[in-house]
Amino acid sequence: VSEEETPLEGVRVVELGGGIPAAFAAHQLAGFGADVVRIEGEGEGPPLTEDENVYLLAGKRRVDDGGLDVRRLVLAADILVEDGHPGALASRGLAPADLRSHKPSLVIVSMTPFGQTGPYRNYKATNIVSFAMGGIMSLTGAFDRQPLVSGGSQAQYLGGLHGFAAAVTAHLGAVLNGEGDWIDISLQECAAGMLELYAPSTAIGGPVLPRMGNHTRAEWGIYPSLDGWVGLFALQRQVRNLFEAVGDPELTDGPFVDSLYRLEHPEELAAKLYQFTLSHTCDELMDIARERKVPIGVALTPTDLLASSSLAERGLWDEVETPQGIATVPGRPYPGLGWQPPRRLHRPGEDTAAVVDEWLGGQR
Amino acid sequence: MKKRPLEGVRVADLTMMWAGPYATKLLAEMGADVIKIESPRAWDNIRTLLPQPGVADPWNSAFYFNEYNRDKRSLVLDLADSRGRDAFLRVAARCDVVIENYRADVLDRLEIGYDVLRSARPDIILVSMAAFGKSGADRDFVGFGPVIELMSGLASLSGYAGEDEPFKTGISYGDPVAGAYAASAVALALLKRHRTGKGAYIDLAQREAAAGMAGEAFVAASLRGEQPVHRGNRTDRWAPQGVYRCAGDEQWIVVAVVTDQEWLACCDVLGRADLASLDLAERQARHAELDDVIAAWARDRDPQDAMETLQDAGVPAGRVLDSGEIHEDPQLIRRRFWVYLPNPKMIRYKQAGVSWRLVECNPTLARHSPVFGEHTREVLAGVGGLSDEEIDALYAAGVTSDAPVNPEVG
Repeated sequence: VSEEETPLEGVRVVELGGGIPAAFAAHQLAGFGADVVRIEGEGEGPPLTEDENVYLLAGKRRVDDGGLDVRRLVLAADILVEDGHPGALASRGLAPADLRSHKPSLVIVSMTPFGQTGPYRNYKATNIVSFAMGGIMSLTGAFDRQPLVSGGSQAQYLGGLHGFAAAVTAHLGAVLNGEGDWIDISLQECAAGMLELYAPSTAIGGPVLPRMGNHTRAEWGIYPSLDGWVGLFALQRQVRNLFEAVGDPELTDGPFVDSLYRLEHPEELAAKLYQFTLSHTCDELMDIARERKVPIGVALTPTDLLASSSLAERGLWDEVETPQGIATVPGRPYPGLGWQPPRRLHRPGEDTAAVVDEWLGGQR
Repeated sequence: MKKRPLEGVRVADLTMMWAGPYATKLLAEMGADVIKIESPRAWDNIRTLLPQPGVADPWNSAFYFNEYNRDKRSLVLDLADSRGRDAFLRVAARCDVVIENYRADVLDRLEIGYDVLRSARPDIILVSMAAFGKSGADRDFVGFGPVIELMSGLASLSGYAGEDEPFKTGISYGDPVAGAYAASAVALALLKRHRTGKGAYIDLAQREAAAGMAGEAFVAASLRGEQPVHRGNRTDRWAPQGVYRCAGDEQWIVVAVVTDQEWLACCDVLGRADLASLDLAERQARHAELDDVIAAWARDRDPQDAMETLQDAGVPAGRVLDSGEIHEDPQLIRRRFWVYLPNPKMIRYKQAGVSWRLVECNPTLARHSPVFGEHTREVLAGVGGLSDEEIDALYAAGVTSDAPVNPEVG
């Protein structure tokens, strides 16, 4: 636990909408010390799961919107994060331009599947829809099988992550220059802006590259080990290290040192790498990775990570009280700034009176 | 014109590849003066990945590099040489932020670690973003995106139904995730400095940043000992959900029916009123059969038409846009997401625009990625305060250069 003052000490945040993007962005803001008030009422989308509640809502104050002047609450805040559909704010009397004109320092972050404008702005999306429309899904999964959505809710978390980073950046601008802004985050654009070399290579007229599953190249792929799965990911300059780790003279001294030969004989090379990985356990492979400085990684599960001495030593974890016991979750995303670990999950509406008292001087 | 939030903030950017450059791309878009620092010998190898064919200087003409390094300045200095290091420290003393994503031991070996930087500028903010951080038993592991995805637990959550094999995302997913987090760290550290006058040292571990992207899986593991279950493209929360092939080469749509009302609308589109009364439990029990119904409907349809038909009826659906089709997507085009930013070294092509749309200040991209060493003289003189003679000496000694000395290593 950091003793340091948190960077968002005294910053007030209203979270509205209730999906993963707003909840995750506000979760990070709460951790860095903001007073986050989540306004809840008749939900529009599917509710968060119990596990998502524990991770995303712990440490936040929860307010019921029944009979509440939400507009006054928002105008008492420094940052509003929301993920309602475009127009939802305006229909509640919270039109961004209007809020901004009443409080120029206010930062409003809106996270939606497709953004506030454009022909798809009212289209519905779940995580898989956003993941597909952002382009990452076409590249994910095995070559000869269906494209595959990544696990968890990555498209929605990406939106929340960008919403969080944009919120603190715009808030800094408000602190320095007096002016906040309204930020229109599109989940589709968050993903479409991270298509690595795949987007430019097609934009310049190259062919659409197929998804390559776990094997982009033989020396860039995931292989089975004796007791799990291991990834070997060697850049051109790291191939020699990898081959020396494998210890097969046909690799270190043979034609495979030539990158073109490797490209033309992927199956032969993969067969040798299978032989290597299948003769070791994951622990042995990680020892080799450390000794040889080769980019090798093993597929760890959350349970494995929870048992990691390295992560415990670095202080990653937060512990959250729940009725089912103590949940251990990833905490501060990086050390070096004060972090306020969430202690427990508040009950819906638990903080309504206190927030009205503190933020609105007792007047609903 | 309204100021962008980071105008006036100067960043010494030692990052390479993708994670760090993605972070500083975000900072540059928000108005920061980002000075990208490379060595004549150790330069950003992305510079030669996917170059414009037939050019003499591929390190100045790579599309991938261009995409993530626009609106940055290029300073070339060999930091392993004491003269280069000294010049760097003179520049760093005039920067608010230093950011690096070297392997964990490199910054200290170059003798420009946090303590050194702090003596150059007491309130400096250092953001390091090594794969596993600079402390802890795993710090010596080498890793980038796909390694991070495996070691953070994320890959263990992905896979085809009923199969053990974990799947990595098709991009180097750990990189932009760590990059976006690093950008947030810069703003938070600047807020802290504004209030306290103190700098900060952020020891971001890319693995930890990625783990935070699936916190609910850690709740399930720690509370109930649950191991990840691979469900392919389905979810245990609603049904049907899946990916379905359409007409054309490798064209697919996704459909995700959450509510009974959406299912009713979906059945109307499918022409299967007989299935409309199935509730969630029945839809889950008969998922494979419903997949077949949707697949048969989609098979001969144009994917765009299929998506629009479903969405117009109120059913969540989308195309699995590939790297070609995504450049033609009507939504992204209407929102001017793709921009043509001229680069004299490159053909005209569609590039991704600014990530964060601040509606009022409306940040736009001004300039292509810098050519190697383009701003060396300007930065050393204007920021570092070096004289012309000092700069000439650095060129003469090969401590700086306007071309990599080893262009073949990329």
